[in-house]
Amino acid sequence: MIKVRGLKKRFEDKEVLKGIDIDIFDNETIVILGPSGQGKTVMIKSMIRLMEPDAGEIYFDDENIREYNKRELENFRKKIAYVFQNSALFDFLDVRENLALFLRMHKRMQEEEIENKIIEALSFVGLTKDVLDKYPEELSGGMKKRVAIARAMIKEPKYIFYDEPTTGLDKKNAELVSNLIKVLKEKISTTSIIVTHDIELMENVSDRVALLKDGKVFFVGKKEEISDETLEYLYSIGDTYEI
Amino acid sequence: MLDREYFENLGEKGINFFTTIYEIFILFIESLAAIPKIWFYRRQLVEQLYNFSAKTLPIAAIISIFVGLGSTVQGTYQSSGLIPRYVTVNVIFKSTVIELSPVILALVLAGKLGASLAAEIGSMRISEQIEALETMSLDPVGFLVMPRVIAGLVMLPVITIFANFLAIFSSFFVSTAISQWVTAHEFVNGLKMDYKSFEIIFGCIIKPAVYGFFISLIGSYFGLKTKGGAKGVGESSTLAVVVSAIMIVIFDYYLGELLL
Ligand SMILES: Nc1ncnc2c1ncn2[C@@H]1O[C@H](COP(=O)(O)OP(=O)(O)O)[C@@H](O)[C@H]1O
Ligand SMILES: [Mg+2]
Repeated sequence: MIKVRGLKKRFEDKEVLKGIDIDIFDNETIVILGPSGQGKTVMIKSMIRLMEPDAGEIYFDDENIREYNKRELENFRKKIAYVFQNSALFDFLDVRENLALFLRMHKRMQEEEIENKIIEALSFVGLTKDVLDKYPEELSGGMKKRVAIARAMIKEPKYIFYDEPTTGLDKKNAELVSNLIKVLKEKISTTSIIVTHDIELMENVSDRVALLKDGKVFFVGKKEEISDETLEYLYSIGDTYEI
Repeated sequence: MLDREYFENLGEKGINFFTTIYEIFILFIESLAAIPKIWFYRRQLVEQLYNFSAKTLPIAAIISIFVGLGSTVQGTYQSSGLIPRYVTVNVIFKSTVIELSPVILALVLAGKLGASLAAEIGSMRISEQIEALETMSLDPVGFLVMPRVIAGLVMLPVITIFANFLAIFSSFFVSTAISQWVTAHEFVNGLKMDYKSFEIIFGCIIKPAVYGFFISLIGSYFGLKTKGGAKGVGESSTLAVVVSAIMIVIFDYYLGELLL
């Protein structure tokens, strides 16, 4: 379970997060929805301290990770995975090594075992073995995203964060990815935290939805509970709206 | 006009300069702190040791051969008839091995290695790969910076020693076989004259190690600090080259002053 209290983050003169409060339960898929530039990326990066928050508390399983030192933080991150907006595959490694990196660095595994895990993850995301020797630059956007998801699932994380998983993909790939998110959750029973501005994705995968605007979460609930007025307000031009 | 704004800008630049120096120093401390995990990051270290040599040996060879040839031609021209020939050989030998070859090589490698390092790490920064490392419980300094700093520290001396051999050999070749202004015997006598092994260690090991250290550390620093897209990557690599070149000439002077 994740508990966030009073999370704040500012850049120079711009306060992006103005005190976020949210609870995220185990094994749920929560979608944090909001227009571009509202601080969705900043929010989930601050939640795992990829960015240092200015104030607030973040509890993962009742431990305040803001009190962690560097080593504790590294340890904590073994149980989370993060799928970056642009996939962020390591461009100096081929697909095989991208997938193997975590296992090689942190688990004592035989080559054979690693190879099996890689192939299993790859076939789960619907890719075949012949991409293993390719470098990220040789892959399409949709394939990169799928490799990124495979790289995340190999960690068997307790929590998995997705930053705009469908943005920039065509309709077919977007559907594919949103299905992967659903199936993956069943397969490794993980808690999924998704930030997006894609309403379709939200309707497709969410157990609960949080709405983010002007640096605050102003609604948390089931998607059926979101009224048209609320959605309209969410996408209306607020004081920090950006095009 | 020297107005208020001018001085304010100047002040800001000054502050930026000192924060940069400070942050580079911090990165150095962090790299030191990552050394106990060197076994954990051994793959990366081996890769960088290989990278640093494979990328640089061809250039180093070309440069050192021509530095040897050039300084020989220049040396003989400037001193012909004034002093005994083996003394000329000695002057050429020492100025090449201790000063010219290490410094020229370091400056060129600051361009080659420093720029590519900053660009490599910089493009990782802007495409969130550095953060991806962190989410994999890997320390970007331990994974990227420390192996490169060690590779610089170790490989630059190796490359310089190799380059110096080529420089001496090319000098020997042009002196004895092409222009034939000395005999092989005289040439060897010139090399042996007033021979101090510390000078050779200084020129072939200490200086290049310091330069290699700076090239890697500064390249990594500007790479990690990269902001804002492809343009930012370009700026980082330019800065990396300029700053490490300045450090190289400054330390060339200070190391000489300090140790010789
Ligand atoms: N590293 C940063 N430095 C300065 N401003 C930033 C930084 N990261 C994000 N911001 C600003 O924070 C705001 C929210 O950004 P972001 O979280 O990326 O929005 P979203 O993901 O919701 O589209 C934007 O106005 C952006 O300019
Ligand atoms: Mg974003």
